[in-house]
Amino acid sequence: MNAAQASTPTHPRVARGSRRAGEIVRAGAIGLALLWSLAPVYWMVATSFKTELEAASLKPTLWPHDATFSNYVGLFAGSLPFLSFFTNTLLTCLATALVAVVIATPAAYALSRARFRLRPPIGYAILVFRMLPLVVLLAPLYLLLLHARLLDSLAGLVVGFTTFGLPFAVWMMKSFIDAVPIEIEEAARIDGYPRWQILLRVVAPLILPGLVTTATFVFMESWNNLIYPLTFVTTLEKQTLPAALVLTFTGQFKTDWGGMMAAATVTTLPLLIAFFAVQRSMVRGLTSGALAGA
Amino acid sequence: MIAGSRSPAGPWLDAMVLPTVGMLAIVVGYPIVYALVLSTENYNLLSAESARFVGDANYRKLFADPIFWQALRNTALYAFGSVAISALLGLTLALLTEHLLGRRGRLARALLLTPWAVPFVVIAFLFRYMYLQNGGAINAVLLAAGAIDAPVSWLNVSSLALPAVMLTNIWAMTPFFFLLLSAALAGVPNEVIESARIDRAGTFGMIFRIKLPFLRNALLVSSLLMIIANFNDFAKIWAMTQGGPGYSTTTLVVYVYRQAFENFAFGYASAIGVIWLLLLLAFAVAYLRALRRN
Amino acid sequence: MARISLRKVEKRYDDVLALAECNLEIDDHDFIVLVGPSGSGKTTLLRIIAGLEQVSAGELWFDDVRVNDIDVADRDIAMVFQNYGLYPHMSVYDNMAFGLRRRKLSRNDIDSKVRRTAKLLNIEALLHRRPRQLSGGQRQRVALGRAIVRDPAVFLLDEPLSNLDAHLRVQMRAEILKVHRAVTATAVYVTHDQVEALTMGDRIVVMNEGRIHQVGTPGELYDAPVDKFVASFIGTPAMGFFTCRVQRSAAGVELFTASARFRVTDAQARALNQSTAEEVIVGIRPERLVLVSEADASRAQTTMRGIVAAVEMLGAEQYVHVTVDGGALTGKVSRDHHIKVDTSVTFSISSRDLHLFDRETGMAVR
Repeated sequence: MNAAQASTPTHPRVARGSRRAGEIVRAGAIGLALLWSLAPVYWMVATSFKTELEAASLKPTLWPHDATFSNYVGLFAGSLPFLSFFTNTLLTCLATALVAVVIATPAAYALSRARFRLRPPIGYAILVFRMLPLVVLLAPLYLLLLHARLLDSLAGLVVGFTTFGLPFAVWMMKSFIDAVPIEIEEAARIDGYPRWQILLRVVAPLILPGLVTTATFVFMESWNNLIYPLTFVTTLEKQTLPAALVLTFTGQFKTDWGGMMAAATVTTLPLLIAFFAVQRSMVRGLTSGALAGA
Repeated sequence: MIAGSRSPAGPWLDAMVLPTVGMLAIVVGYPIVYALVLSTENYNLLSAESARFVGDANYRKLFADPIFWQALRNTALYAFGSVAISALLGLTLALLTEHLLGRRGRLARALLLTPWAVPFVVIAFLFRYMYLQNGGAINAVLLAAGAIDAPVSWLNVSSLALPAVMLTNIWAMTPFFFLLLSAALAGVPNEVIESARIDRAGTFGMIFRIKLPFLRNALLVSSLLMIIANFNDFAKIWAMTQGGPGYSTTTLVVYVYRQAFENFAFGYASAIGVIWLLLLLAFAVAYLRALRRN
Repeated sequence: MARISLRKVEKRYDDVLALAECNLEIDDHDFIVLVGPSGSGKTTLLRIIAGLEQVSAGELWFDDVRVNDIDVADRDIAMVFQNYGLYPHMSVYDNMAFGLRRRKLSRNDIDSKVRRTAKLLNIEALLHRRPRQLSGGQRQRVALGRAIVRDPAVFLLDEPLSNLDAHLRVQMRAEILKVHRAVTATAVYVTHDQVEALTMGDRIVVMNEGRIHQVGTPGELYDAPVDKFVASFIGTPAMGFFTCRVQRSAAGVELFTASARFRVTDAQARALNQSTAEEVIVGIRPERLVLVSEADASRAQTTMRGIVAAVEMLGAEQYVHVTVDGGALTGKVSRDHHIKVDTSVTFSISSRDLHLFDRETGMAVR
């Protein structure tokens, strides 16, 4: 069903003509949209293969005339510990995803199954959590981590990331658990299974796709976060990619756009992979959550 | 005992919520309270003297601070403006691609979603590169198309910086609305579309009077979520302009961050954060109430 | 094999009373049907027997054991859910074997039990499929099989046929009864369809708004409904009602409307004399309305006249909906009569066929 089909006028000949015109316009618009979406990404990748000179040239070239891998080589063999940045980010985000999902799922289950009198307020509470200016938490969290001696550490970052990762994970997992009919659990109870086994053998296998999707989302949100690493991590070697990019793009590197784009491309790759891996279930998770309201 | 719960294992379920609630209490609850306290203190990490209670001095300073008001203005423009345009573009894309089916359709949709998979910091640097006065891709394209006579310094001119940053934000955010609205569009019942066809609804009639009402809820809820997210948006702005030139792209986040971690005025920074939270809460409540009324 | 006894069972959700004082005795090997409209509490009652809900007050006994505090798993029951509740990620075989594995039976024992039950229900060919690959009717059979294989003392079925199409439903009804005859368990069956209740139950429990109105055999419910609700709920087409004034005199008791007079039987007269109510509601079963021509009308015992509001042709017979003074009646007549809408019809009624109900309480006047 689409708009063009729906507006079928009465005259067949006119219909064919205007329908084709409509389709050409539509195809053109989609093409434009594709260009708009992909051009910058292409530009990033193309620049990463250009020499420093060509990348900074006053007349930008559409594709690298002197294609080179030197930017990428420079990332890993250069003066900056890029590999450390990468592994730091990877470990931190994976850890956060894991922690968030593990802690959030029991809570999501409880919220889904129990008939709390508090259920509406909890829904609002979760919305409030999402509304939080994270930056407000910055100063207190900084002091908290300082006293707990977790500043400048992976663990401290993970703790920070859970401020947004946990509420989000609870919200997402709850909608996945809601989709599991409660009759199945009741049938298992009648079959004689204790609670914990029901969760393990009946519920868990059914929410596994949801777990993966939620973990991926938390992973992506953590990967994107700049403000916490910038604030909580002080040694450069322990930095994550976003913060490292910002901190190192000074002085001599300020005009090395080729190198910067190479770093950018490498930084993008894990997210791209994660994104396409869970693309389909993303839609389900998003629409069920957003359409169901706050 | 939770009266009437379908799983009469009250205490069990309460225990399941505990880890999440506990963690959030430490990581979010405590910092919020602490931030409230800080906002009433004259706390400067660098100064020799210890924190002193100063009542509402920070708040009075805040209301008299022209930069605060500019930051507020910028944030409102940034958030509402970007969301409005992204939602519109996302809706257009969703309508355009509605009838695309099969592998080609899925490929096109996946490609249109690509910007979402690019990390915020990367987007910021990428667009910074493209906005360069000399050597930037955008100027090159505009010059070639004859839209401008001389290269424009997008990020260094106060009046242009905020729109430029907003454009970047729109590029990044549109896929989210596109995805959500595509899914919502797919959920419009076929019978409604078919009756409209029988009633000879035109193209625009079909869109505005038939389909849009079904999308209303999804649109409004997701817009609210994105506005809140945009208020929090640190990475894109910081990596592009650090809030400059001057204060033209300084949003509330940027301002709080600078107060907290460049001036180390934790008290004042917390006060700004508290006002921000109150504003957002008021906005969300009014928004949700308006949503429910219709 | 279990006698089930509910004594003063009550169920509240927060402030809402879902079940008001319920007393029910179910005999061993009975097939009991709980029937009533939505919200009548029949499913709640079933779930209380299962142990999935706790009673707010009262006691539940299985044979001589008070089971209020006994956990679901230990009550020796099996349940078939309306939406089947099959484990989606397990095969049909595993769905049925899942409960048995808990009991530490040998693998051979489990296998033979599962296969025997599968044979009984004709689902042997489906043993290795997943629920999502099955049709509604097949899933229903698997759900039944899962219950049967447990060999429980009590079978509980919660509207198991509601999601099936009409044809399949009739077929499955017979199968369920066949299975019940083959096993030696007690069965409690919930449905909102009174036809289903009448055809399946040894005894039927009619419920409405959390109360049990009447417990009895299909015949008892049909011939002697205890109140107006049961009278109107049981029977297709539904019983028709109209209001009459009561005239008590030395000569006896008579009922009359604006256009008709009825004599009553001695028993009815005695019952009516026990109160001073001036009006009473009269109900008549459709098949008891005998259409007569005007000529025969004068010779008949008691006649009534009405205007035809609608006629439904049902092949061999027709339903005639008639508006009469004080109410409306439905008649089930043969198609030999040619009846037109908006015409006047006359029918004769025998006093024996009058069901009397109190105007205020709805209770039968007997």
